[in-house]
Amino acid sequence: MSDHTATVESHFWRQISRTFVNWSLFRQIMSFVLFLVLWSIIVVAVDYFQQIPTPKAVFMALFELPFSVVFINMLKSFIRVLAGFFLGILLGFPIGVAIGYSKVAKSLIFPAFEMVRPIPPIAWIPATVLFFVHIESQIIFLTFYGAFFPVVYNTMGGISEVDIRLPRAAMSFGLNKRQMLWKVILPAAMPQIFTGMKLAMGITWILVVAAEMMANKGGMGYYVWYNHTVMDYPHVVLGMGIIGLCGAICSIGIAWIGNYFTRWQRIF
Amino acid sequence: MSTSNQASEVIFNNVGKMAIFKKNQTVILKNCSFTVEPGKLTVLIGPSGCGKTTIINLIAGYERPDLGSVKMDGQPISGPNWERLVVFQETALYPWLSCYENVMFGPLSRKVMAKEKAHEETLKLLAKVGLEDFRDKYPSQLSGGMQRRAELARALINQPKVMLMDEPFRGLDAMTRQLMQEYYLKLFEETHASHVFVTSELDEAIILADNLLIMTNKPSKIQKTIEVDLPRPREWSMVTSKRYLEIKAEALELLHEEAVKASTTSGKVDVDLSGLLQTADSD
Repeated sequence: MSDHTATVESHFWRQISRTFVNWSLFRQIMSFVLFLVLWSIIVVAVDYFQQIPTPKAVFMALFELPFSVVFINMLKSFIRVLAGFFLGILLGFPIGVAIGYSKVAKSLIFPAFEMVRPIPPIAWIPATVLFFVHIESQIIFLTFYGAFFPVVYNTMGGISEVDIRLPRAAMSFGLNKRQMLWKVILPAAMPQIFTGMKLAMGITWILVVAAEMMANKGGMGYYVWYNHTVMDYPHVVLGMGIIGLCGAICSIGIAWIGNYFTRWQRIF
Repeated sequence: MSTSNQASEVIFNNVGKMAIFKKNQTVILKNCSFTVEPGKLTVLIGPSGCGKTTIINLIAGYERPDLGSVKMDGQPISGPNWERLVVFQETALYPWLSCYENVMFGPLSRKVMAKEKAHEETLKLLAKVGLEDFRDKYPSQLSGGMQRRAELARALINQPKVMLMDEPFRGLDAMTRQLMQEYYLKLFEETHASHVFVTSELDEAIILADNLLIMTNKPSKIQKTIEVDLPRPREWSMVTSKRYLEIKAEALELLHEEAVKASTTSGKVDVDLSGLLQTADSD
């Protein structure tokens, strides 16, 4: 009998706890807290890691952050990323369409691309000096280069994988080639085209940080590197966090635009 | 008589068609001759993989015959055209367009109809296929049966002279399938186009057909044409009629022969291509 009351009672408390506490959210917050705790413990307990700033030190550094300096650097990085990204789309998208749409263009362009593509974009950093005199152009070229191939390859892939029945039906409906591209092929390839853009956005941030660290021309990469040279490590970590935040904002932005244009995919 | 003036006739004359599949040449059609009579519903039935879809593609103009000729109203078919529209296996609706936009797609792209006219026609057709409440839904929001009906509407608005149905009801559950057959029969009996319907279901074939064309295995040709003289409008209750059962028995026997042949020959036969070339008589 008492057993029975116990189960009823525990059931009751479970209900109460479920009503008033969002346990899933609680666990997600705990994940964050645990990360910070673990970080602190490692820094404090392990002698070897003593130089690493604690979360508290990083947080305190936030109050002495030179906001105007960081803002200018952030702006510079953003402009470089967006310039490279849009140049990558401007050039990569038409080329991707051409390769995906025309066999002649593919056999003409694709092999050369396949030769260049395996070179990691960062390996290009020294060589950019040969192409551009201005350091700003060198950085933007690198970000452009990082965005270019993901856009080309995903646009091409999206187009060549369109279900053949879709353009066939359109041929029967009497569409001309131009209509076929704009009304059938591109909408059908849109999801993968945006996949390429999301990838491109991530890569441009990697490249802009690497290039800025080399360049001495401002930007968040430079900010982090500069603080490293003066051994102000709380600001290094803070700078890393800000870069992560900027990258996340850009990714969310492009994902949001992509979702808007491919909203038919998510409605069931 | 007025109906036969509008409807078109398609004639296959000794058509030969090869395909290259994984670097192997295969003869799909050989000496394939038949006529799609104007305003009639011609059903093609045969073992799977026997080239039924190839016949649809040839009539639609997506492929050309290697030998012989495919003619519509005396003119060789030279390419895809709205006069010959395909309802594809599974759905080929444009997933980024709503049901309504899908139906409007043909006439608006060709600019043959004013927008208001196309709008009216679209609503009329959507009502006819029972989708007026779903006009703003995307294809992914429709059930399989609804998708098929939307696709029928998308084709019918162009007033094609020949409708090509490539196993359109495959993959639907039995109940939906029967409903779709009834829908389709009603639509066919109201329109004046010639229809070609490909299926591998015998009951579906007989209940729909005016002419039932039984195909052989690859290399395929028409083994026999059975005239299905059941009265129209067709009803499902006819499946128990004496005439229906006679036709079914005859068709079954022919199909069984082909099935036996198919199962006794290896799947990977090296086909002698010279045979195809010799029997060809050019025109």
